[in-house]
This record gives sequence, structure tokens and C-alpha cells, in this order.
Amino acid sequence: MKNYEYEKMTMREFHAPNKKVRIGVYVVAVLLVLLYLLPIYVMLNQSFRYVTDLTPRLYLPEKWTLDNYIQAFTSSDLLEGFKNSLVYAAEVCVVEVVLGGLAAYGLARAGGRAATTLRTFNICIMMIPSLSLLVGTYSLMVNFHMVNKIWALALQTAAIGMSGTMFFYTSFIVSIPKDLDEAAAIDGAGILRTFFQIILPQLKPVTVTRLIMIAIGAWNNYAMPSYLLTNTSKSTVVLVVRKAFYVAAGAVQNVPLACAMCAVSLLPVILLYILLQRYIIEGQLDSVSK
Amino acid sequence: MEKRRKRILLSLSIPAFLLIFIFMIIPLGNALRVSLFKWNGFSQNMKFIGLENYLSLFTDDVFWRSTLNTFVYGFGSTLLQNIFGLSAALFVNKQFRGRNFVRLILYMPIMISGVIMGAIQYYIFNFDNGVLNNMLNLFGIENIYWMKTGVSSVLIITLINSWQTMGFCMLIYLAGLQNIPKMYEEAALLDGASKRQIFFKVDVPLLIPAITTAVITNLIGGLKLYDIIVTLTNGGPNRKSLSLSYYISLLYFNDEKAGYSSAVGIALFVIIFLVAVPINRYLRSKEVEY
Repeated sequence: MKNYEYEKMTMREFHAPNKKVRIGVYVVAVLLVLLYLLPIYVMLNQSFRYVTDLTPRLYLPEKWTLDNYIQAFTSSDLLEGFKNSLVYAAEVCVVEVVLGGLAAYGLARAGGRAATTLRTFNICIMMIPSLSLLVGTYSLMVNFHMVNKIWALALQTAAIGMSGTMFFYTSFIVSIPKDLDEAAAIDGAGILRTFFQIILPQLKPVTVTRLIMIAIGAWNNYAMPSYLLTNTSKSTVVLVVRKAFYVAAGAVQNVPLACAMCAVSLLPVILLYILLQRYIIEGQLDSVSK
Repeated sequence: MEKRRKRILLSLSIPAFLLIFIFMIIPLGNALRVSLFKWNGFSQNMKFIGLENYLSLFTDDVFWRSTLNTFVYGFGSTLLQNIFGLSAALFVNKQFRGRNFVRLILYMPIMISGVIMGAIQYYIFNFDNGVLNNMLNLFGIENIYWMKTGVSSVLIITLINSWQTMGFCMLIYLAGLQNIPKMYEEAALLDGASKRQIFFKVDVPLLIPAITTAVITNLIGGLKLYDIIVTLTNGGPNRKSLSLSYYISLLYFNDEKAGYSSAVGIALFVIIFLVAVPINRYLRSKEVEY
């Protein structure tokens, strides 16, 4: 009867594959990993070639060379790019987290019609695609001399992401008991002090993941930086690498050098990803599941 | 006292909303205003033409083509990402050695900027010495011009975008699967349900919240697609693989039609709003409590 079947097939067996299936699982796993590492392989493979090496890109280089990497490291563009990207990402992080966190705290705790309206307004703002504002933003930045200023771009990026950060923080602050605030108020702490000394420590783990996500977004941001940072000395890493791949009319493209620059630019990102995988993966989940 | 406290709490959100006001609301107002003018984007010469920019949307083939592409990028990517993401989640949810490594690799492309990913993928789908054609040559198949037509370019861009961001869906579904209490599956098994029945009748309904987040996030991301197109096809051939986001920037910076570009921007804004709101509402109504 039904009970016998259940005894024969416990939940452990239900989830555990048999031997044939297990081999299949490994085959699929290897294929998936290969599919996902292919672009990295193509990039690295190109980066060790001479420009004149036109053998199929699928196979290893005819003759290996490190010249491209030496050139990538000695060109000041990439180094400058790293510096600019770092400054830019840090500025976006600070502005977005401090202002977004404060605002979220205020809105979550104030209650009443005004706060609810502002929160709904905020969710609507989240839907605005930033490029639909391109003309408006660009002419605003030009009029106020904010082109080629990293801080101005950082403010703009933070403004675009602000509603998301506020939404994210609000959902966490709501789950912190109000008693904590009240106890602090009775002890004579002001609102700002309550936020920085009582609430913010509670938000530490979510802040770490949020910071990582904002930093990744800023680091990889392309559209707005490409229009607002036209000066080469202000270029971010992504802009520098993009330029290396770009063929100007009449110029000869140096694909191996571009790939080497690309590899160097990706190295810190991938290292950080492996080191911080726990936070990154959980952070992504937190931000959507709330 | 209580009223004063509430005022202070609300005022905490002023800096954040100020930033949003400067960099989103003013540009939005600006875009609405500019969309009523014929303007090249930099001269003093602005001519008021009323709704003419909006009317010319109807006769602009490139606009309709780009709108169609935007829908393909949005809905096509969402469909592919969810199918592959769910399959991948079911796969890495199995017990096998190295599954964390597989998960790490499948999620990794998300860390890489779309512009850079497009630049690398270009050498996979390239006609002349592309890696994919290299592989086909192994089987005696001649080189294929993958990005010859607009349709094939759009499909390849959709495919690469889905491939790159699939890991996000996978994570959401993985979290969803792990949140399903084991006792539901056990109970179904006890009642004699087959594996397939358990999946469709128990797991899928309980995954609806995860599906909601995955669909909405992917849809908005896909409708805003920009980065990959820049380096992979540059909108070509003949502006046939443009997304609306990219068309907006081309109109502004290449064609110097700032007014018309603003009108397309407003159209994109309306499209995203019209698509995302009802879908969100529909999916939320389908959620099951457990």
C-alpha cells in the first residue's frame, strides 16, 4: 500500500540521484562551466598573442607573448582609470548609503499620510529608466558646468539609485522593533543619535551587501559616464577598456592589447567576487526578496 | 512633542529627495519641455513645434523597429532567463560535489560590465575567425555570418544578455526552492504523487513569489538594455538592432535631434510603466500562502 512505497523511497532517496544519473550530473556541470568560462578563455587567449597572429581564436596562440600585458601596465590610462573608478564608486556608495539610510529611517518611523505618500512616490521613481532622462540630464549638467567632474557624475548616479536604496533600507528598518527608538528617546538621545548609534549598527550586515551592490553598479556603469566623462584623464576603467576595443576610422585595431587591458581590468573584480561571494550572493537575494 | 518628532523624522528624507529632485525630476521636466521643441541640443536656436515630435514617432520606422527590439530584449530575455535560471537552480539544488563552484561560475558574468562582455562576445560571434565559426569549421561547416541581419543580431543580443544575467534568476529560484518546507513534498509523496506532479503541483505554486521578483527585475532590466548592444553590434546592421535606450542616445549625440530624442525618452518611460505595473499586479495576485 501507500505506506510501503513511502518506506521504500524516503525523502533522501527522492533527492539523491542513482549512479547513472550522477555521471550525467557531472557531465552537465562540466559543460555548463565550460559554457560560462568560454568568453574568459577567448579574452585570455587573445591577450597572449601577437597582433600578427591570425590563427583560429579557438586554439592556443601560435607564439606566446607578454608584451600586451607589459604595454597595458605601462600605459597610464589604465592606472588612471582604476583611480577614477575607485573614487567614483566610493563617492556613489557614501552618498547613497548615508542619505538613503537616513531618509529610509525617517520615512519608516514617521508614519502618517505624508510618509506613506513619499514612500509610494519613491517606488514610482524607481521605475524611471535613467536613459529616458538623457537629454534633460545632459543639458542640466552642461548648464551647471558639471561635465567631466567625477563628483557630479557620482551625485547623478547616486540620485538614480537612491530610490532603490531607500526602498531596500525601509523594508529592513520596519522589522527593527520601535521599542529600541523609544528606549533611546527616554534616555535622552536625539533622533540623529538614535539613528547612528542604535539603528545603524543593526543594519550593518545589510549595509555591507548594499554597498557591494552599489559599488559593482558604479564600477560597471557605462552609458552616463561615457557622455559625462569625455576627458581622457577622467575616464573610468570601463571607459578605458571600451576605448581600447574601439576602432577609429582608418586606424588599425590592436585586439590583443585590448584583451590584455580587459583582463587586467577584470582581475580585481573577479578576485573581489571570489573573496566576497557570500556577501554578493546574499546581498543580491536580500535586495529582491524583501 | 510627538508632532515635532515626526517633523524631524520626515525632514531626514529631505537631502535624499533633494538629490532625486535635482537629477531626476528636473531632467524629467526638462525632457517634457524639450520634447515640444525642434532643437539640435546645443545651439540657442529652439523652435516650438508643439506635439510634432510625438506625431513623427508614428511614421518613424527606426522607432518602431527599436520598440519591437526593446520588447524582444525585455520579454525574450525574461523568458530565457527564467527557463534557464529555474533549470540551473534545480540543477545546483542537487547534491553533488562542486556544486558551489558551479554556482559561483554561473553567477560570475554578472560582475562584468555589459560593454566589456559585448566586446569579448564579439570575437565569439564574429564572421571572420570568430570562435563559434572556428568550432563549426571542426565539423566541416563553412563560416556563418551570425550578425548579418537585424533579426539575427537581435536574437544573439537577447541570447547573450540572458546568458550573462541568468545567474541572478538562478539565485532567486534557489532561495525559493530552499524555502519550501520539506514536509509538503513528503506529504505529496505519501499521497502517491509522482516527481513530476510534486514539481508542478507543490513546488511551482510555492515559487510564485520568487517568479514575481525574477520576472519584474529581468523585465525592467531587459527593457532598459543598452551596454551589450554598444560593443556587440553598435545598433547595426543599419540601426536594426537598436534598443530604445540606445536610439535615444544616438538621436541626441549623433543625429543632433534633442527634441525628438526627448520624445522617444518619454515614450520609453511610458512603455516601461505600462508593462511593469500590470504584470506586477497580476503576479502578486497569484501568490500562495503557506
